Amino acid sequence: MTTQLAETRKQSNGSFESFLQDNPQLNDAATQDGMAALVEKLAPLLQGERFHNVVDLLSAVSDVVDMADDAMVQKMMKGYEELATGAFNLNNLMRYAGAQAGAEKDPPTVWQSLRRLNADADARRGLAMALAMLGQLGRQARRDAATLPEN
Amino acid sequence: MSIQDIVVVGGGIGGTMTANNLVTKLYPEIRAGKARVSLISNDPWHYYKPAFMYVAFGMFYKDELRRPLHSLLKPEVNLLLDSVEGFDFKDSRLRLASGENHHYDYLVVSTGCIPSPERIPGLKEAGDHFYQHDPAMQLYHKLSTIDKGRIFIGVTFPKTPNVPHQCGIAPMETTLMLDDFLRKRGVRDKVEIVYTYPTVSQLLRNCLFLQRDVGEVLPSVFDSKDIRHQTGFTLERVDPDAKVAYSEEGEAVEFDILMQTPPIRAVDAVLDSGISQAPNNEGWLPTNRETLQLEGFANVFVMGDTVDLPISKAGGSCHNQSPVICDNLAGLMRVGKTVAVYDGKVQAIAQMGLDAGMPLWYDYDDDVMPTPATKIGGLMRKAFNRGIYWSVARGMI
Repeated sequence: MTTQLAETRKQSNGSFESFLQDNPQLNDAATQDGMAALVEKLAPLLQGERFHNVVDLLSAVSDVVDMADDAMVQKMMKGYEELATGAFNLNNLMRYAGAQAGAEKDPPTVWQSLRRLNADADARRGLAMALAMLGQLGRQARRDAATLPEN
Repeated sequence: MSIQDIVVVGGGIGGTMTANNLVTKLYPEIRAGKARVSLISNDPWHYYKPAFMYVAFGMFYKDELRRPLHSLLKPEVNLLLDSVEGFDFKDSRLRLASGENHHYDYLVVSTGCIPSPERIPGLKEAGDHFYQHDPAMQLYHKLSTIDKGRIFIGVTFPKTPNVPHQCGIAPMETTLMLDDFLRKRGVRDKVEIVYTYPTVSQLLRNCLFLQRDVGEVLPSVFDSKDIRHQTGFTLERVDPDAKVAYSEEGEAVEFDILMQTPPIRAVDAVLDSGISQAPNNEGWLPTNRETLQLEGFANVFVMGDTVDLPISKAGGSCHNQSPVICDNLAGLMRVGKTVAVYDGKVQAIAQMGLDAGMPLWYDYDDDVMPTPATKIGGLMRKAFNRGIYWSVARGMI
C-alpha cells in the first residue's frame, strides 16, 4: 500500500491536488466515508487544540522507540524478570505454606514448632535467610541514619 | 479415593508450562490431596531453545538462555530428575532410567524432537545448524570469521506427510539475520548467500516457504538484500572433503558454509514405544488434532514437537496447546469427557534481520498474513527473548 501511494505521488508531479485526485485509495467511497467519520470525531479535538497533545504523545513514544536499543531492552527486561520472579516466588510461598498450615487440625504448640524447626534443615535455612535479610535491613538503616561530613 | 497421578514428561517449554498450568487448573484437587502433578525431566536446566539461533550470531551467552528448571516450577510440582526409557501406554506405566516403574493415571508427553544431521550422509561432518547450543556456537565461529565465499542455506522436512520441520520460520529468520550480520562485519559484498527450499514442503511444491502467502513475498525481500534464492533443492548427501551439497533433484553446489535445517526425529523412548505410524522412523505420535489425546489412549495427551500434526514444532504451538490439554485433563477427571478443542493456533514474533520483527499468527484454517517488519516488532521480540519468555514458562502469561 505504501508503494502504491509513493507511486501515485511520483506520477502527480509534486502537485498535492492531482495526488488527491489520482490516488485510488483516496477516491474509494469506503475510504471517504471513513475519513468523514474520523474528521467528525476529531473536529472538537482539533478546534480546541487538544489533538496537539495526542501528536506530542505519539512523538514522545516514537522518540523512545528510536532511542531504544538492545542494551536498553536487556536492562529493562532484567528488571521485569526480577520483579516477575519475585512475585511468582512470593505467591508460591504464601499459597504453599498457607495450605500446609491450614491443613493441620490443631496448630502445633510453640515447643512442637521449635522441635520441628530443629529437625528440618530447610526450615532452619529459611530462618537463616530471614535473619540475613533482617541484618541487611539493619545495616541499611544504620547507614541511612548516619550524618555524612560536609565537603 | 486414591490420589490421581498426573505425570508430565519433558522439561522443555511445553512440559514446564503445562505442569504449572495443571497445578493452577487442578488446585482444588491438589489441595485436597486427591491429585498430584509430577514432571519428569532428564535435565536440571531449562533452555530457551529459540535463543540458540542468536548464539550463532554472538548475541546470547549460555547462562542468559537457561534457568534451573526447579526455579520455573510451582512448589506443588513434584520434579523428578530421571529419564523415561520406555512408555507402556497400555498399562499406564513409565520405565525410568533409575529402574523405577512409574504408574500414572494421566500422562502428558512433551518430549520434543532431536536434530539428526547424521540421517543425511556427510551432513554431520560438513554441515552446520543452530537448533542446539554447541552446533550454534560452532556456526558462530565460522560466521564471524568468513571473509569471502558462499553460505548455502537449506531446509530438510520430515518424510511424514504434512509435518513441518522444527520452527518453520527459523530458516528465513536466520537468512535475514545473516545478511545483517555480514553487512555489519563489512564482508557482505564478498560473501554470497544462497537460500534454498526443498521441492516438497508440507502440502506445497516448489515454494520458498511452507505457507503460500509468505512464500510469495519472500523473493522481493531477498532480492532487495541481494540474497540468491532457489526452489527445488532437497539435500540428499554432502561431500565433506569437496564441500559439495548434492540434491535429490540432481544438482551439485559448492559451499564454504552449509547452514542446513537438519532432519528431526522423536526421542528414543517415543520411537521405541511402537505407537508411531510415521515413516522413516521419525516417531511422531498419532495425535487427535482437536483434543490432543494420543489416538487410542484417552488418558494420554501429546504436545509440542512430538505430535504428528501440521503445526509448527515451536514454543508458540505449546503455548496454545497447553490450556487445551489442562482443560481436557480436568474435564476427564471432573465430568468424564474432554471439553476443549485446539484450533491449531500458533503465534510468534519473527526476527526479520538483527533488529526488525514481524508478529505473526495462524491456525489450522488460516495461514500467516505477512506484514512489514518493524523496529517495534524487533523490540517486542527482544523483550520476549530477554524476560517475558520466563513468565510464559512459569505459566504467568
